[in-house]
Amino acid sequence: MPSDIPTHAKERLKGLRSSVHSTGVFTSDFSVNEFLLVRKAGFEPIGLCVGTCVYHVGIQYGSWNKNQELDVLSKAMYHARELAMSRMRAEAAAMGADGIVGVKLTIKRLEWDAQLLEFIAIGTGVVHGDGHKGFRAHDGGPFTSDLSGQDFWSLLHSGYRPVEMVMGSCVYHVAHRGVMSGLGTVGRNVELENFTSAMYEAREIAIERMQFEAAAAKAEGVVGVDIHEGSHGWQTHVIEFFAIGTAVLPLDEEIAPEKIADPIMVLSVND
Amino acid sequence: MGLFDFLKAPTPEQQQAQQDSARRQADILMNIRANRPPTSTLDRLQKARSGNLPWIATLTPAELLVVRSHGLRPISTVSATCWLHYGWSWTLGHAQGWDLALTRLKEEAKAAGANAVLDVKMRTIPLDMASSMDFTLVGTAVFVEGLPPSPDPVVATVPALEFVKLLEADVVPTGIAIGAHYEWMNDWRGATNQYWQGNTESWALSRLWETVRQQAHANLREHARSQGNGVLAHLNFSQMFEQEANETKQYLARHIVVATTVDARRGQPFHHDIKMVVDIHDGGTPLTGTAKHHQSYAANDQEGAI
Repeated sequence: MPSDIPTHAKERLKGLRSSVHSTGVFTSDFSVNEFLLVRKAGFEPIGLCVGTCVYHVGIQYGSWNKNQELDVLSKAMYHARELAMSRMRAEAAAMGADGIVGVKLTIKRLEWDAQLLEFIAIGTGVVHGDGHKGFRAHDGGPFTSDLSGQDFWSLLHSGYRPVEMVMGSCVYHVAHRGVMSGLGTVGRNVELENFTSAMYEAREIAIERMQFEAAAAKAEGVVGVDIHEGSHGWQTHVIEFFAIGTAVLPLDEEIAPEKIADPIMVLSVND
Repeated sequence: MGLFDFLKAPTPEQQQAQQDSARRQADILMNIRANRPPTSTLDRLQKARSGNLPWIATLTPAELLVVRSHGLRPISTVSATCWLHYGWSWTLGHAQGWDLALTRLKEEAKAAGANAVLDVKMRTIPLDMASSMDFTLVGTAVFVEGLPPSPDPVVATVPALEFVKLLEADVVPTGIAIGAHYEWMNDWRGATNQYWQGNTESWALSRLWETVRQQAHANLREHARSQGNGVLAHLNFSQMFEQEANETKQYLARHIVVATTVDARRGQPFHHDIKMVVDIHDGGTPLTGTAKHHQSYAANDQEGAI
């Protein structure tokens, strides 16, 4: 008789239904490993939380030969994401979730109208198994995080907890080069300094804004930061810098570094 | 074989084969109408269960090892199909098609004397014929040594390794739940028209989306309830269309969620310790970030270049 299979599971395999369904059905978009690890971390998924927003992006006037932030577009990207995220968070709060793990933020263009963008935020609402409320964000609502279940487990075991998914956006217009400046560089490799500086400025603005959000959430730091460059059907010289990450705080009792297990080095011999 | 063989009268063997095929198809037809496995399938499954035919498994050797170490034995590959025509609704047809295929798969598993079907794959042949689609499920029926055959075998869309991992955590993957919903919105009053050229939310479309998604997820919960107490969703599919009819804009929004249902005992994490490892194999390291979680930019990275 296999000893590794717990009784409840064995009963179910015999075809016997248990009465556990009285607790209601949870939904989640976890993979098997994520599910197991989130539970190992002491949390239980309760429901998939979704927030959507269809947004009409306004017309932006900018100068052809100037490096500048396109504030109308920046604001649109910010506002629309904010709406989608806050709706998702409201759904989580209504379920009584302590937080949302594995948030995925996607942007789609709607085919019939170039000005319409659809923003979707989706993640799994979780509650602490023992009803510990200390994991909630600074405003008492659910924490948000784009960490996977694996990342979530690792973060908690490194002595931190997620507070808020923070982001910074900057849509920027990179100046076109004048015809004359092109002539001067024929046959030479030269740095296009105005392009470089445009990249610098736009990226800095995006990071700054994300950092500001983290400060507002009273976080100690931001993990898993990713800085994307993207364009949502805008003209060639328009680019969005988007910084996103999870703001974190130390757990109530900070774990001493020597208590954190060192990872074991392995070399996988599979393929 | 000559070029004009088809003009000749069929040989007795060929006649026999044709008759067999006709009989077999009549049998299949009769049995699928009753959601029963065809007679020949039934016979094959029962022989595999009793050991009179070799077992068949989609498992890899490594999976076979894990499965055997937990007292599971493969019986046979089981499968089910429902080819459905969307006469009424494309969106809801998906829920119907998968549900019927699932019922039939369970019947095959039951006939094989199984306790569970592992590694169930959801398949569709992209033929796009007569606004119809086939909903096919293929998996490996297994039994647990020492357990009697189940009157209600569980259907697990997860591979063998994950199935065993879940069992150890006292979680049983039980089936497939579908949440599907669509809605038409007629924009009589021009709520989606944009007269102002500034930034603004298209609230009518946002609301349509919110309604459709929420309803699809509510349907998912409802469908899951009969199979387990939770779902691990592995697929979210949504589409929105605009069309103009009689000078009025119409919008169709549809959303389909396909998920694996589980029967989980709450507050019962698995007993194994977790050890952090750093895989020195390139590409296998867990430290390469979480890029897959940001799909927003996956599609237009190329466009992003200046």
